[in-house]
Amino acid sequence: MNNLTTSLEPTAVATHCPYCAMQCGMLLAGTGKEVSVQGNNEFPVNKGSLCIKGWTSAETLNHPERLLSPLARNEKGKLVPVTWDKALNRIAVNFTEVQIKHGRDAAGLFGSGALTNEKTYLLGKFARLALGTANIDYNGRFCMSSAAAANNKAFGIDRGLPFPLEDIPNAEVILMVGSNTAETMPPFMQYIEAQRANGGKLIVIDPRQSATAEKATLHLRLTPGSDAALANGILHILVRDGLIDEDYIQTRTEGFEQIKGLVATYWPSQVERITGVSEAHMTQAAHLLGRAKSAMILTGRGPEQQSQGVNNVLSYINIALATGRPGRPSSGYGCLTGQGNGQGGREHGQKADQLPGYRKIDDTAAREHMAAVWGMDAKEIPKSGKSAYELLDALGTEIKALFVIGSNVVVSSPNATHIKKRLRSLDFLAVADFFLSETAQLADVVLPAAQWAEEEGTMTNLEGRVILRERAMMPPVGVKTDLEILCALGQRLGRPDQFAYENPGEVFDELRAATKGGLADYSGITYEKIKINQGMFWPCPTEDHPGTPRLFAEKFGTPNGRAKFHAVRHLAPAEEPDAYYPFYLTTGRVLSQYQSGTQTRRVAKLSEMSPEPLAEIHPSTARRYGLNNGSNVWLQTRRDAVQFKVKVTPTIREDTIFVPFHWGGAQAVNRLTNPALDPTSRMPEFKVCSVRIQINSDN
Amino acid sequence: MSSKKKIIVIGNGMAGARLVEDVLARGGAEKFDFVVFGDEPYGNYNRILLSGVLSGTHDPKDIFINSLSWYQENNIKLHAGIRVTSIDRENKIAHGTDGTISVAENYDYLVIATGSSAFVPPFEGLKSEDSDKNKDGVFVFRTLDDCEAISNYAAGGKKAVVIGGGLLGLEAARGLLNFGAEVHVVHLMSHLMDMQLDAHGGAALRRSMEAMGVNVHTEKSTSKILGNGHVTGLEFKDGSILECDMVVISAGIRPNTQLAKDAGLTVERGIVVKDCLTTIDDENIFSVGECAQHDGKVYGLVAPLWEQTAVLADRLTGRKPEAAYKGSKVSTKLKVMGIELAVMGEKEAAHPDDEVVVYNEPGRGIYKKLIVRNGQLAGAMLLGETSTAPALLQAFDRNSLLPENRAELLFALNYESSGGAVSVDAMVDEAQICNCNGVSKGAIVNAVKGGCRTLKSLCDATRAGTGCGSCKSQVKEIFEFAAGDSAVEDPSIHYYVPGVPMNKVDLIEAIKDQELKSVSAVFDALAAGTEDPASKIGLASLLKTIWPGEYDDERDARFINDRVHANIQKDRTFSVIPRIYGGVTSASELRRIADVADKYNVKMVKITGGQRIDLLGIEKEDLPAVWKDLGMPSGHAYTKAFRTCKTCVGTEFCRYGVGDSTGLGIKIEKRFQGIEAPHKLKFATTGCPRNCAEATIKDIAAMAIEGGKWEVIIGGAGGAHVRKTDLLVTVETHDEVLLYMGRFMQYYRENAKYLERTWSLVERMGIEKLREILVEDSEGICARLDADIQAAVDAYVDPWLEAEEPHHPSQFMNSLVQIQPMQPTYAGVVM
Repeated sequence: MNNLTTSLEPTAVATHCPYCAMQCGMLLAGTGKEVSVQGNNEFPVNKGSLCIKGWTSAETLNHPERLLSPLARNEKGKLVPVTWDKALNRIAVNFTEVQIKHGRDAAGLFGSGALTNEKTYLLGKFARLALGTANIDYNGRFCMSSAAAANNKAFGIDRGLPFPLEDIPNAEVILMVGSNTAETMPPFMQYIEAQRANGGKLIVIDPRQSATAEKATLHLRLTPGSDAALANGILHILVRDGLIDEDYIQTRTEGFEQIKGLVATYWPSQVERITGVSEAHMTQAAHLLGRAKSAMILTGRGPEQQSQGVNNVLSYINIALATGRPGRPSSGYGCLTGQGNGQGGREHGQKADQLPGYRKIDDTAAREHMAAVWGMDAKEIPKSGKSAYELLDALGTEIKALFVIGSNVVVSSPNATHIKKRLRSLDFLAVADFFLSETAQLADVVLPAAQWAEEEGTMTNLEGRVILRERAMMPPVGVKTDLEILCALGQRLGRPDQFAYENPGEVFDELRAATKGGLADYSGITYEKIKINQGMFWPCPTEDHPGTPRLFAEKFGTPNGRAKFHAVRHLAPAEEPDAYYPFYLTTGRVLSQYQSGTQTRRVAKLSEMSPEPLAEIHPSTARRYGLNNGSNVWLQTRRDAVQFKVKVTPTIREDTIFVPFHWGGAQAVNRLTNPALDPTSRMPEFKVCSVRIQINSDN
Repeated sequence: MSSKKKIIVIGNGMAGARLVEDVLARGGAEKFDFVVFGDEPYGNYNRILLSGVLSGTHDPKDIFINSLSWYQENNIKLHAGIRVTSIDRENKIAHGTDGTISVAENYDYLVIATGSSAFVPPFEGLKSEDSDKNKDGVFVFRTLDDCEAISNYAAGGKKAVVIGGGLLGLEAARGLLNFGAEVHVVHLMSHLMDMQLDAHGGAALRRSMEAMGVNVHTEKSTSKILGNGHVTGLEFKDGSILECDMVVISAGIRPNTQLAKDAGLTVERGIVVKDCLTTIDDENIFSVGECAQHDGKVYGLVAPLWEQTAVLADRLTGRKPEAAYKGSKVSTKLKVMGIELAVMGEKEAAHPDDEVVVYNEPGRGIYKKLIVRNGQLAGAMLLGETSTAPALLQAFDRNSLLPENRAELLFALNYESSGGAVSVDAMVDEAQICNCNGVSKGAIVNAVKGGCRTLKSLCDATRAGTGCGSCKSQVKEIFEFAAGDSAVEDPSIHYYVPGVPMNKVDLIEAIKDQELKSVSAVFDALAAGTEDPASKIGLASLLKTIWPGEYDDERDARFINDRVHANIQKDRTFSVIPRIYGGVTSASELRRIADVADKYNVKMVKITGGQRIDLLGIEKEDLPAVWKDLGMPSGHAYTKAFRTCKTCVGTEFCRYGVGDSTGLGIKIEKRFQGIEAPHKLKFATTGCPRNCAEATIKDIAAMAIEGGKWEVIIGGAGGAHVRKTDLLVTVETHDEVLLYMGRFMQYYRENAKYLERTWSLVERMGIEKLREILVEDSEGICARLDADIQAAVDAYVDPWLEAEEPHHPSQFMNSLVQIQPMQPTYAGVVM
C-alpha cells in the first residue's frame, strides 16, 4: 500500500462537515492548532449556514485526547503503545486463529454510517474476500434500516429523499413524523422556513413538543409507539371524505383495495383512544394533506426505531400514495437520513444482506457480478449474515473476534450493559477510532484512525447527492486512514493484489464498476463531476449522464413500475406501560451533541451546552414524584437502572420520559432501551419501552 | 395429509373475522386452516360505521374490512350466507344450511362468534295481521341491509320515531334527520343514554339533541304499534299516542346463543367462557364477541371484542400461551355530528371516598364529570367539549395515576398546541386558539368580520381568552391581524374598575373634586347611577385611601371577610388572627389566647407564617365575643391592607444582629396597622443581611446593614410568584425607615391598579423611576404623600371594636346566601 496523501492546499479547502447527513459544505483553512471553519456559500445544500456542531468541528482535530499510536493490551491487561506492524500483525493472527478454530463466520466486522463510500465499499470487500465471513453489519442498522426496508418494499428503491431539498419550499403541506430537525439538523430548517414563508403548512407528529414541533402549524402529540394507528386513522378520514387520488391509485400503484378494508377498522374515535390524538386534530391533518396541491411526508427516527418500524413507515407511505404524491412536483415521501453517510453507508456492502450498488446478497446475478469485480468465485461470497444487534448479541458465542471501525457500540446499542458484557466475552476485539471511545477501551488492539479533514472520499447525503470531501490537512504522525488500515490488513490476510490502491480515487473507481447496473448506480460519477456540479445524484449510469435529482416521475423501482400499498395493522410496541413500569421512555438527540458523543463530548463549547443527559419529565409527573429541575432520579427498565438529572418541561407528555442518548457509561440511556427487533429491518426499539421512576433516598 | 389444525369460526362479524386476522398476523397460517361461516352474504364490515353510512358521512363500500377476495387470498374457506344449525360436539362437526344446500365441516377447534341481534320487545301490533313479518315501516338498526332499508324508506321526509334513546338510537335519530324526516326519540327511562350518563348528563344531552331538531320523549313505554299492515303510530302505556310513518327499534341487543344452548354449552346471558376464552363445557370450543359472557359481563362494544380475539389468537398460535382475558374497560363516543360526547367507566360515585369532579356550563351545553378513585379514573363523561377525551381515555385504560390538578383533566391546557409559535397569518382557520373555550382562529376572524371592533367585545362574543387566559396574547394578535386598521382600542382596559368609565387618575380627581365619599355616591355621580357589583370593592378601597377617616363605609361594598373582619374558611367557619406587634408576645397574652381557644372550641391553633397565632374554626356569631375576650386588636389577616411585619430577634439577643429589627417591626405595625391598599401588604424587618425574616420577598421591608444603617427595600414577592426586592433607599434611623415606607405605601395606594401587588407596580414602573419620585422628589409630591399617609394612620380604628357595637344586627349572623359568592373555586367547577 502506497502513501495516500497529497500535498496540503495553501488556502482554504472546500470540504464537508463530519457530522450529519446534510453534509454541509464548509471551508477549512490553516493547520495545527489554528484551523478555521467557515460555511461554504457555494454549496447549495446549506448555502453557507452551519450549526454549532459544524462551527466547532475542527476542535477534534487537534484534541489532546487523540490517539497517536496503535495500542495493544499487554500481559497485565493494560493498553500500551505498540508499532503499527505489531498491531496489524496481532489483528491478522488473532482473526486467522479464531477462524481456523471456530470457522469463517466466527470473525465479525462492525462498520459505520460515518464512513465514506470508499471505506464502506472496502470494508464489505474485506469481509467477503479477505475474511470470507458472512458477519458484517454496521450501526446504520440502528438508524436507517426501517425506512430503507419500507422504501424498498413500497418503491423498489431506497434513496432517503427522492427529491432535492430545494423542492421543499414549494410544498404546500409538509408532514414531518418523529423528526426533530430543528435540533438534529438545524441548517435543514431554512427550507422549512422558506416553505412557511411561501404560505406552506407544517404538520409535526411527535410525542414531544420539540423545537421542530414549535414551528408547526399543527402538532399531533401522539402516544409513543402508536404511529401506524395514527397514519391509518388519517387515511380513514382521507377515504371517508373523498380526498384520495383515484386516478393516481389506479395508474401508478397496486394493493389499495386491502388498504380500504384496513382503514375501515381505524375509525377516528378508535384511533383517538390508541394514539391520544384528538379526532379534531386528526381531521385537521387529513384535510390539510388531502386538500393541498403538493405535499411531502418526511419521517425521522421516531416511527422508524421501533419493533414495528418498517410497518410504521409503510403506513405513512400509504398516505403519500393514496393522495397521489410520490413522483409529483414538490411532493412525495422521504426519510431524513441521520448519519453523515447514512445513505451511502447502506448502499455499498457493509450490510449483512447486501452487496455494492444496493444489490442483494442472495441474488445470483448480483453475486456473479461482484465475483467478477473482486476476482473470486461467486460461490465463495458468503451468504447473508447477522444484523447489527444480533451480531453483537452473538459475540463470545458464535462470533469470537470482532473488528469495529468508526462506531461506538457500547453507547449506541440498545441494552448496552448486555452488549458490553458480550464484547468482554470475545476472544479478540480490535477497534479503529480517533479517540479512545467507550468501545475502544474494551479492545485488545486499538488503531488510531485519521479524521474527516485528513483524508479524501465521497459521501452520499440525505438527498442521494454524492459529494466529495477533500483532504484539508495531513493526519498527525502515527495515524493512518481507515483505507490504509484495511489495505494493510487485507495484505496480511493473503490478498495483496486485491487490497492495493494508490489513493481513495482508485477505490472509488472500483466502486463505480461494482455498482454498475445496480439500483444505486454510481458508475457515471467521477470526482471531477462532483466538484463541478457540487455533487451528483445517483443513479448515474454513464459518464455523460447528468445524475437523477428526482426519482419516480415516470415509474417506480419495482419490477412492474408501480408503487405498492402495504396493509399494515398497528401492533403495540414490545413493552407498554403497566403497573410496574408505568411510563414510556423515549430517546433522541439534543442540539449540541451528535450520536454516541465520541466527538462532540470532547468539544468544550458543546459539552458546556449539554454537559450531561437530562431526563425530561412533565410537570404533573414531576409534581407527583416530588421532582424539580436538577433532582436526581433513577430510571429503571426491565434491563437496567440509570441515574439522571431531571429537566421538568411541559413539552413532554405526562406519560412519557425523554432522555438523549449521546452519553456512555453510567449515563448511557441505551442501557435501558429494549432490543426488541423489527422482524424485517432488524431495527431495535430505541424509541419506546416502559420505565419506572425511582426516587433517590438522598433527594 | 396436512398437519395443520382446522379452526371453524361461526360468525363473520367484528369478532369472528378479527380473530382470523389476529391469528394470521401472528403467523398462524402455518398452523391452521380456517373455515368461516357468515350469515350475511358479504365479506365483513365495520358495524361501528353503520351510523356513518346512515348519516351519509361514510360510503357503504368504505366500511368493508375484508372483501370476499381476501378470504381467497388467505386460503380461508368462507361459507357466506350459510347459517350453522347444529354442532355435533362428539364428532366435532358443524352442520349448516342456507335453506337449500347443507354443509358439514369437521373441526379441531370451534370458535363461536355469533354476535348478537337487535332486541325487539314483544310490542302488541308489531307484526302484520296477515304475515309473520314486522309491519311495513318498522325497522331495526343492526346490519348494512337494515341501514339500506331505513335509508330507502325514510327518503322524502317522513315522521320517524326511534324507540330507544341509547347510543345507537341517538345515532339513528341523527341519521334520519338527514333524510328530512321529523324525528322523535322515545325512551323508557328518565334520561337519555341512562346506561352511560347520570341524570344531569342525560338532561344536557337531551337539550343538545333537541337543539338539533330531534324530539325527545322520556319515560315512555311503548305498548302498541298502530296501523294496519303499515305503521301509523305508537301507543304508550300512559295511553298517549304518537303518530308516525316509520319506527326504528333500537332497544338493545341480545346475544345469539341458541346454537350454543342447543349444543349443550352453558349459557347464561351469553355463552359462559373462562379467562382463556374456552367454554366451561368443552375445551375445544371457544367463544368471543357479543355472544360471550366473561366474568358475568357481556360486551356490546368493539374494543372488548378485539381484546378478546387478540388474547385467543395469542393462545392459539402459542405467541403468548399464557395470555388471559381479564375483562375490558368500556368507553365510547357518540358519533352524532354536532354533538361531542365521550363516556367511559362508571357514571356515579360508588364509594364514600370517591372524588367527583364536575364542570357544568349549561349555556354552551357543556357538562363534564370525573369519578376519581384512589387517584385513578373510575369513570368520566364529557359532553359538549371533549378536547381532553384522548388523555382521559388513555388514563382510564391504563389505570394511570391522575395529575393532582384535576382541571388539567377537564380542560386542554395548552396540551396539543395547534398553532404554537406560528405566526397568526400562517395559522389554519381550524387551529384552536382558546382551548378552554374551543375557539378557533376562524371563529375569531369571523367575529371580527362580524363587527367586533375591540378586543374586549371580541372576547365577550367568542369567549376566547376567558378561560385560563393563556391564549390572550394570541387572541390579541389574531384580532389585530383580522381587524387591521379598523381595530379600535378598547377604552375600558384603562378603567380602574369596570363599572366607572374612568382611568385611575381621572377617577381620583373626580372623587376629590366632587367630594364623593361613598361607593354609591361615586356610582351616582360618575356612572349615571348604575351600580356595578364587580366595581364596589375596588372603589371602596380607593375611597378609603382618598378619604381616610371620612370614608362612608357601606358594608355591601365589602367582601364577607371585610364585612366581618375575619377570614372565611373552607368549612365556612372563620379564622381569627389578633395582632401581635412585631411577633413579640407575652405570657399573659398567650394565656388569654389559650383561654379563648378553650372557651370557643377553636378547632385549630396555628402559628402563621407571619409570626402570629391563628385561631381557626370560629363560628360567625361568636366573632364579637372572641374579639372581646381576646382584648387584642385585629391582625387584619383577612383584607387588602397592611398585614404584618415579620421580624427577626435583632440586636437584643442575636449575636449577628446589627440593627434593632424587633423594635422597628413593632413601630411599623403600630403605625401602619389596618391601612387598606389595592392588595395586601406584607412587611419585614431583619437585623442583618442574613435575612432570617425573609425580608427580600416582602412587599416592603427594612434590612439592617453594617454601620447601623437601614436599607428600605420594596417590591418583593414570595407567593405563587417569587421576586426579590429592589433597594429604594438607605437611611440611618427608624424614623426615616418609617417615613420612606409610608411614602411608598401611599404612592402604591394611589397608583397601583386594584389587586395589583407591589412587585408588579415596581416592575411596571422600574425602581429607578420610583427612586426619582420618592427619594429625589422629582415630581414634588413627597410632602403630600407623607401627609396623606399620616392622615390614614390617624384614621385607624380597630375594626374589632365593632364587637361592642355591630354595624347592623345581622352582621355576625350566619347566612349561607351571603357567603356563597365568595367560594374560592375555579369558575364553575364544583369540587
